[in-house]
Amino acid sequence: MKKKLIIFLLMMFTLILYSDSKNIEFIEYDLDNGLHVILHQDKTTPIVAVSIMYHVGSKNEDPERTGFAHFFEHLMFEGSEHIPRGEYFNIVQGNGGTLNANTSFDRTFYYQILPSNQLKLGLWLESERLLHLKIDSIGVETQRNVVKEERKQRIDNQPYGSLLEELFSRAYTTYPYRWTPIGSNQYIDLATLDEFIEFYKTYYVPQNATLSIAGDIDIEETKELVDLYFGDIPRGTNEITRPTVKEPPMTEEIRDTVYDNIQLPAVIQSYRIPEQGTDDYYAINMLTTLLSGGQSSRMYKALVDEKQLALQAASIPLSLEYKGQFINFGLSNAGVEPMEVEEAMDIEIGKVQNELISDREFEKLQNQIESNFVQSNSTVAGISESLANYHVYFGDANLINTELQKYMDVTKEDIKRVANEYLRKENRVVLYYLPKSQAPEEKEN
Amino acid sequence: MKNKFLVIIALVFTASFYAQVDRSKMPEPEPAPEIQLSDPDSFTLDNGLKVFVVTNNKLPRISYSLVIDRDPILEGENAGYVSLTGQLLRTGTKTKTKAEIDEAVDFIGASLNASATGLFASSLKKHNEELLDIMADVLLNAEFKQEELDKLKKRTISGIKAQKDDPNAIAGNVRNALVYGLDHPYGEQVTEETVESVTLDICKDYYETYFSPSAAYFAIVGDIGIDEARELIENYFRDWQAKEIPTDEYKKPNRPLVNKVALVDRPQSVQSVIYLSYPIDLEVGDEDVIKLSVANTILGGYFSSKLNMNLREDKAYTYGARSRYDTDELVGRFDATTQVRNEVTDSTITEIIAEMKNMTKGEITDEELETAKNYLIGSFSMSLESPATIARFALNIERYDLDKNYYRNYLKNLNAVTREEVIAVSKKYFKPDETYILAVGKAEEIADDLKKFSLSGKINYYDIYGKEYDPDAKKVPDGVTVETIIDKYIEAQGGREKLESINDVQTVMKGNIQGTDITLTLSRKSPDLLHQVLDAVVFKQTTIFDGDSGAQVANNQKTMLEGERLEELKIQATMNLYFDYDKHGIDAVLKGIKEINGKDAYEIELTLPTGKKWYHYYDTETGFKIREVSTMDTPQGSFTQTVDMGDYKEIDGVFYPHKLTQQIGPQSIELEVTQIKVNQELSDSLFKIN
Repeated sequence: MKKKLIIFLLMMFTLILYSDSKNIEFIEYDLDNGLHVILHQDKTTPIVAVSIMYHVGSKNEDPERTGFAHFFEHLMFEGSEHIPRGEYFNIVQGNGGTLNANTSFDRTFYYQILPSNQLKLGLWLESERLLHLKIDSIGVETQRNVVKEERKQRIDNQPYGSLLEELFSRAYTTYPYRWTPIGSNQYIDLATLDEFIEFYKTYYVPQNATLSIAGDIDIEETKELVDLYFGDIPRGTNEITRPTVKEPPMTEEIRDTVYDNIQLPAVIQSYRIPEQGTDDYYAINMLTTLLSGGQSSRMYKALVDEKQLALQAASIPLSLEYKGQFINFGLSNAGVEPMEVEEAMDIEIGKVQNELISDREFEKLQNQIESNFVQSNSTVAGISESLANYHVYFGDANLINTELQKYMDVTKEDIKRVANEYLRKENRVVLYYLPKSQAPEEKEN
Repeated sequence: MKNKFLVIIALVFTASFYAQVDRSKMPEPEPAPEIQLSDPDSFTLDNGLKVFVVTNNKLPRISYSLVIDRDPILEGENAGYVSLTGQLLRTGTKTKTKAEIDEAVDFIGASLNASATGLFASSLKKHNEELLDIMADVLLNAEFKQEELDKLKKRTISGIKAQKDDPNAIAGNVRNALVYGLDHPYGEQVTEETVESVTLDICKDYYETYFSPSAAYFAIVGDIGIDEARELIENYFRDWQAKEIPTDEYKKPNRPLVNKVALVDRPQSVQSVIYLSYPIDLEVGDEDVIKLSVANTILGGYFSSKLNMNLREDKAYTYGARSRYDTDELVGRFDATTQVRNEVTDSTITEIIAEMKNMTKGEITDEELETAKNYLIGSFSMSLESPATIARFALNIERYDLDKNYYRNYLKNLNAVTREEVIAVSKKYFKPDETYILAVGKAEEIADDLKKFSLSGKINYYDIYGKEYDPDAKKVPDGVTVETIIDKYIEAQGGREKLESINDVQTVMKGNIQGTDITLTLSRKSPDLLHQVLDAVVFKQTTIFDGDSGAQVANNQKTMLEGERLEELKIQATMNLYFDYDKHGIDAVLKGIKEINGKDAYEIELTLPTGKKWYHYYDTETGFKIREVSTMDTPQGSFTQTVDMGDYKEIDGVFYPHKLTQQIGPQSIELEVTQIKVNQELSDSLFKIN
């Protein structure tokens, strides 16, 4: 009850905090059924983004049903009590809108961007599938095949397409990040209609959802409409389960080779990092910018430009709700051995660990972070997603205005410290991607 | 508790305000919002640079983009140089190294990208002048360095290698080769070889030729007013010198007369990438464009289209299927494309053709038409969220000479599109019977089923660069090498010992060219003397090589041969050359088996020290050489010369061909050997050049 009171107070006045950018004003509140609502008005273009984020992702799946959350995402377009099968897309597009959805390890996100005079339509559509989605076996069988084709298109038929899957299956032994959202064909084949209905009842409930609306709207009117379309949706009664297992710390480096249909070898070094939103998360993000933000960044400059070892070199923070991965990726230039690429990566990591970065380089980093942050919220669709993200992951939608300060609080010493703390050999998985022609079985032929 | 009370009140209040919502009915829209379309500010500098300024202060940021408007370029044997030049731009100026440019851009948290047809830069407003300073330096003071070009070439070549396993990249390359042809700016292929051959000079030349303010447009979008923008642009670009840039014309590629099936075999594929593509004649702003946009949206322009609903939502063959068209000043293109599991490759093509036919037959419901139009109206409105759209509209109006109200009238014109018009443009632009049908996939599983789409039942196979090849070409058996082929040839002729015992040989051949009898007398002496007389009654030509020098005498006029021609003559004169190619600096490579006049023959490619290539063909059964192919450079251009040899007969223990057919260009001459004399101790004086 107390928490509710605070949220209620928040909607009375909007916080205004300093940043170089203009503040993104919004209100947020909970409906009685637990649905969290965030509204942002921006009248520049007569459009509106209506989005719902469900706090469910592949990490909530049964290990024997990997790919389930994503498969279910497809079924959410099948129809509802009042929307015939196959009409969902048609209705949105036929009214001038666009729509899509995506599923990650941690959440599933649905959005529609509509002309602003169609706000009601957006609310009706989203509330219909939250209240009484309708799926049948024809829909399930169709989407089963569609999802399998999606997997082929993104992973099986793509050079390096299996990278994330190969990496995460080695980086985690226990935590349900050990499979990726696309899942395996085998389990996609096993999923049944009953299981989908049970999943829907558990996770697609108001108290597990955030409705975020941004665009050319009238706030008061929108609040009333939200009440009208979502107020009577009952709270879910199933217990929402979230993973409680802990991933044991890594004790030694994991090293492996994947043979793929590729021409150029690739090297992936991936270090386990703390949860997003922690202080170290911000320092780690700055570290990845130091290594691969722009062509003057350390990794790009050394590996791509000066030593010409790599066609691409990047340092990517894959931060998640639970412990994520700090991925260094290098694609060898023709004729370069992956080992050379890896050695060059290690040299760059070693430098950050041993030497404090200069004041000028630190200033550059801060400028880059600021520029990215200020320019990141340029569309109403982007703003609606960011607001939902900040609320779902951090319980603080206003981070959309204040998060930059968290980056600015990071010191040069912090960057050196996190490099030493997390970029340790025994905390990493190293994968070499090599052409299939180099696979040992085939060599003997 | 108190809070809950308030919420309940709020709900009651709402309920009294609105009637209970009727969920069974789709909500009606509010009145449609008005779409505001503003004009950007614009001005032109004295040097011809046209500038557009779109002020938008929603975010404190700014972007600059420069576009060079030029005709497409056919890059030929240096394909890739245009793109490399674009990349080179960012790698050095008269005062800055690449590292310094990178550092300057990154330090202000900006981005700067360069291509062969322009530059794009963006940053926060507070750094806008520093950014323009770097951008202008890169544009106006570019300095190309060999070292940077070498790096870019290396990366480009690696990139090309990486693409060799990417089915979508392959499909894109081959699609372009089919639709436009390999000798067209849009169809030519960038390969490792063409990139390797790019020099710094061609890149410099491109930069100096095309980067002119008179051919350029500059757009500024963001948190800046017109006055500030004008002052900045004048300061930086006033002194940029204008020049005339070249124009080019190309012939328009045509659609195939009947469907042509093209297959790229990628044995590891688990999905086929499918394209139905052909060129279309449709310029930007043509009156058909808006109508075709509606027709294409219905066919395959979005999720709710015929193609996607059929192939994904009904048949579940694919994750998605789409069609699109490109408008272009030179030549446009239509594509219908999807990726499907191997076993439904042919069924998918059948469905795509059927849906295209549905469009041309007018099988379009009113709902389909309305849905598509509404979708396009919505997309147009949404595109206005990005301030860059306004700049793009203004630029298109200038560049393609569109009506100045083209975009202002866009929605009106879109709304006015009728069913009849949609059917008419469908008939005009959707050609399911005159299309290339391309599949990149596992031939073993899909090839047979694709034959039915070709009138002749024939499938054309292409490599990943759009070059056609014969998949039935026989495989060279294990163990066969250049050496074994030459050894077999030597044995077939009578053996090494016998051949080595021949010191000189004189052959007389007779034939007929267009009614004129000719006699060719060829005398050769070890190691490399040659004397050849071609007697055509009214015309006599003698060719001589004396071991050092070569000459050609025609109707008493002597020309000394020099350079490559002399080197090649020396090689031609060498007896038993094939005993040791290495010794003569010739690289011999076995290329495969080809069918020559109904017989299988090994193809050996000889690369001469001059770089010229000859091809020799050896009968796989008899071992005899049956064809030689070379190119002849003449003042009239270069010709391919083919000599077929047959009717091998024995003379003193050695087999010689007694029938030769020479083909140069369209002309064919048959020569019959009438006499061969061996070891008659020909005098050296015969081979003297007088």
